[in-house]
Amino acid sequence: MPAASPSLSPVPVPSVSPLSLLQIEARFKGRIWRGDALGSAADPVVSSGFDKLDKELPGGGWPTRNLTELLLNAEGLGEISLLGPSLEQITGKGRNILLVGPPYIPYMHAWENLNIDSGRIVMARVYKPAERLWALEQGIKSAAFGIVIGWLSQVSQQMTRRLQIIARAATSVVFLFRPVSAQFEPSAAPLRVVLGSARQHALSVRVLKRRGAPAALPIRIILPPTRPFSSSAGVFSLPHNSSSHNAVDRSSLPGTVA
Amino acid sequence: MLWIALHCPALSLDWIERRFPAALIPAMAVTARKGNQSYIQQANKPAQERGIAAHQTLASAMALFPGLVVVEQDPNEEMKALQEAVYAALRFTPNIILQDSGLMGEVSASLKLFGGLKKLCQLLNRAVTAQGLQICTGVAPTARGAWLLARSAQPRTVVNGTAARFRLLLDSLPVNLLESAQPHLEVIRGIGCKALADLRRLPRSGLARRFGPDLLAELDCAYGDSPDPRKWFAAPETFQQKFRLLAQVENVELLWVPVQRLIEQMCGWLASRHAAALAFSFVLHHEFSLRQPHKSTPIDIRLSEQSGDSRHLMLLLRERLERAKLAAPVCELELIADEIAAGANANLELFPSAQSETTSLNRFIEKLSARLGPQAITGLKAVPDHRPECSQRFEPLETEAAGRGKTRRTKEKDRISRHEIIPAELPRPAWLIETPLELKLQRHQPVYGSPLKLLAGPERIEAGWWDDALIARDYFIAENALGQLLWIYREYDPIKKDKEGEDKESKDKKDGDKGNKDASWYLQGLFG
Repeated sequence: MPAASPSLSPVPVPSVSPLSLLQIEARFKGRIWRGDALGSAADPVVSSGFDKLDKELPGGGWPTRNLTELLLNAEGLGEISLLGPSLEQITGKGRNILLVGPPYIPYMHAWENLNIDSGRIVMARVYKPAERLWALEQGIKSAAFGIVIGWLSQVSQQMTRRLQIIARAATSVVFLFRPVSAQFEPSAAPLRVVLGSARQHALSVRVLKRRGAPAALPIRIILPPTRPFSSSAGVFSLPHNSSSHNAVDRSSLPGTVA
Repeated sequence: MLWIALHCPALSLDWIERRFPAALIPAMAVTARKGNQSYIQQANKPAQERGIAAHQTLASAMALFPGLVVVEQDPNEEMKALQEAVYAALRFTPNIILQDSGLMGEVSASLKLFGGLKKLCQLLNRAVTAQGLQICTGVAPTARGAWLLARSAQPRTVVNGTAARFRLLLDSLPVNLLESAQPHLEVIRGIGCKALADLRRLPRSGLARRFGPDLLAELDCAYGDSPDPRKWFAAPETFQQKFRLLAQVENVELLWVPVQRLIEQMCGWLASRHAAALAFSFVLHHEFSLRQPHKSTPIDIRLSEQSGDSRHLMLLLRERLERAKLAAPVCELELIADEIAAGANANLELFPSAQSETTSLNRFIEKLSARLGPQAITGLKAVPDHRPECSQRFEPLETEAAGRGKTRRTKEKDRISRHEIIPAELPRPAWLIETPLELKLQRHQPVYGSPLKLLAGPERIEAGWWDDALIARDYFIAENALGQLLWIYREYDPIKKDKEGEDKESKDKKDGDKGNKDASWYLQGLFG
C-alpha cells in the first residue's frame, strides 16, 4: 500500500489533522495489519526449534494460549521429533507435559534421547471421546502444564471453539493431533499445520491456517538425526552383525543368577 | 470491637425445612403450648398460602388445612442447626457466640482479610444462608447492641449501626426487644416508654428498684457503657457431622445442597483450627430394613495435598459421588474429617510459583483420578533394560505433597541418569505398541499399509534369559508408502546359535522354538 492516503483526505475536520498511514498503524496496532505481513500476537511463543518453521509461524514459534492443530494421516511420521525441541525447552524449565490419550505408549528412552525429561511427562490414558475432551479441558485449565498434547480423532467445531476459549485463559501451548481429513472441516484453532512425510527423514510441514498472510508452500524440515541413517546407507544384509549385537549387561542381573 | 449479629427469626421452622429437598417442602407449622392449648407459633410459606397464620389454635389450623405438618418446637434441634451455621461462620472469625436464636461474631480482626465490612458481612450472610437459615443482620460496636439491631431488622436485611448512627438507632428500638424487660412489658408500656431512649431517660435508681438490676445492666451492655463478657463458641477437637434428611433421596442430584453444607461446615471448622484436611470420609446412610440390607455407603477420599478449600473438596466429592451408585435411598449423610494437618492453604499466594504449580498438578491428578480412576493418569519411568517390553513401566504419579523439602531431592533423583538410557546411537522409536502386531506377509515381505522397505538394521536384542521373558530378536527400521517409519522385528532363532556352541544358558529356554525360515515379522514401534 502506498503512503498516499493522507493527501487523499482534504475533509475539513477542523481540529483533527489527517493521520499518516504510519500513525494509523501505530495507533491501531494489533487491530490493523498489512495483508502481506505475517500476523503477530501479543501471546508469548515457544520456539519450535527449527528456524525455518519459526519463520513461518506468527510470532516466531508455537503460540501459547491458543490451540495448535497438527494434522497427520498416521503416526510415525516424525511428529514427536518435530515437537522435541519445544518439549525439551519446556521440561528444561521444570514444567510438565500432559499427553491426553496418546495412540501408542510413548517410549521414554527415545524421548529421553530427545532430551525430554521423562519425569515431567504426565499421561492421561483416557480413550472415550467425551472423557478425552474433559481431561483435555482440565489439563488446559490447570496451571501445571507447559504443553498439553491431545489426540482427537473426532471433534466438532463447537468443541474446538470451546477448547480455544479455555486455552485463551490458560498459559500453556496446546497441541491437538487430528487426522489429516480434518483439514476440510472448519476449526477454531488459529494455527493449523498439516504434517506429511517428505522422505529422506524429513517432514513436510504445510501451514494450513495462521494469522496473517496464508502460507504458500509446504516447508521441508530436516529432523534432528535421532536415527543413525547417516551410518546406514544400506540395509545390513548380514543377519549376524555382531557390531550392533547387544550383549547382556551383566551388571543389571539379579544376584540370584550367578 | 465490631460485631455482626445474625438473628434467625424463623429458626423453629428453618431447622426442619432445611432437611427437605427444596422442591419437597410441605406446608408446615410450629406449635407452642400455652396452658392446655396448642397455638401455631410460625407457619411456613406453603402453609401461609393456605391461610394458616401465627396465634391460631392448632384446631382451627387443622380445620383450615388437614394436611398440615405440625412440628413441636424443639430447642435441641434448633441449637444443632445453629451450631452447624456457626461451623460455617468460623471461616470468617474465630470469635463467635451462640445465642438462643442466632449467632454473633466479633469481626474487627477479619475486616482486612475479607475486604472490608460490607464484603465480610455479605460473605458471612451468604455462608449462613447457605446453611438453610433465614437471617436478619445487625452490625454494631457492642455484642448486645448488634443483637438488638438484628432482632429489629426485617428478614434478609442488614441494619448497619456503626459509628455515629449506633446510639441513634439503638435509641429508637422498641422496648420489647430487651430480654430482661419481658416480664415487665405491660408496666413499661403503661408508664409510657416505647423506645429504649424513653427508658434511658428515666432515673436509673428508680428503674433498678422497679424492674430489677438486669434491665439496667442489659441497657448498659447494649450501649457499651459497661463491659459485656461472653463465652466464645469452642469448636470441638474432631469434626463429625451428621445430617438427617427428611426424605428418602434416591437421586444424587438432590444431595448436592446438603453435601455442600456439610463441606462448608468442615471447611469452617478447619479454618478455625488453622488446618487443612488430608483425608475425609463421607457416608451415605440408608434406611435399614430386612428387604434392604445396605446400611451405609462410605466414600473415603484421601487428598494428595492438604486442602481446606471447600470448592476443591466439593469437586472431589462430587466426582466420586457421581460415579457411586446409590444402592438404596439415602436418609442420612455423615461427614468426618479423618485426618487433618496444620497449615494454611497454599492458594493464598500472591503470585503463582513453582509451589503453586505442583499444587495445581496435584489437583489435576486428584481430579482426574477421582473421575476416571487412578489408573487413568500415570507417569512413565524408564528402566535400564534392552527389552522394549521391560524397559519402562507405568508409575503412579508422585504427588509431591507429603514433604515440601523432599520435592526437589526426589525430582533430582528421579531424573534418570544418562547411562540408564539406551544410548542415542541405537535408534528407538517414540511410540511403542503395547503388544507387538504380527505383520502380514506378501511375497516374504512384511506389509503394513503397503509393503515395507527395510531402511536399517538389524539390531539384535537378546536378553531376559534370567526372568522367563527371553527375547531374541532382530530389529529393523522400515518405511511404508505413507512415510511412516516403523520399528519391526523378526524372531531370531537361538538354536542355531546353540549349535554353534555359544549360548549354553539359553538352551533350556529354546522349547518355544520358532526356528522356521519364514519367521513372522512383528511391528513394535513407530518413529514419531
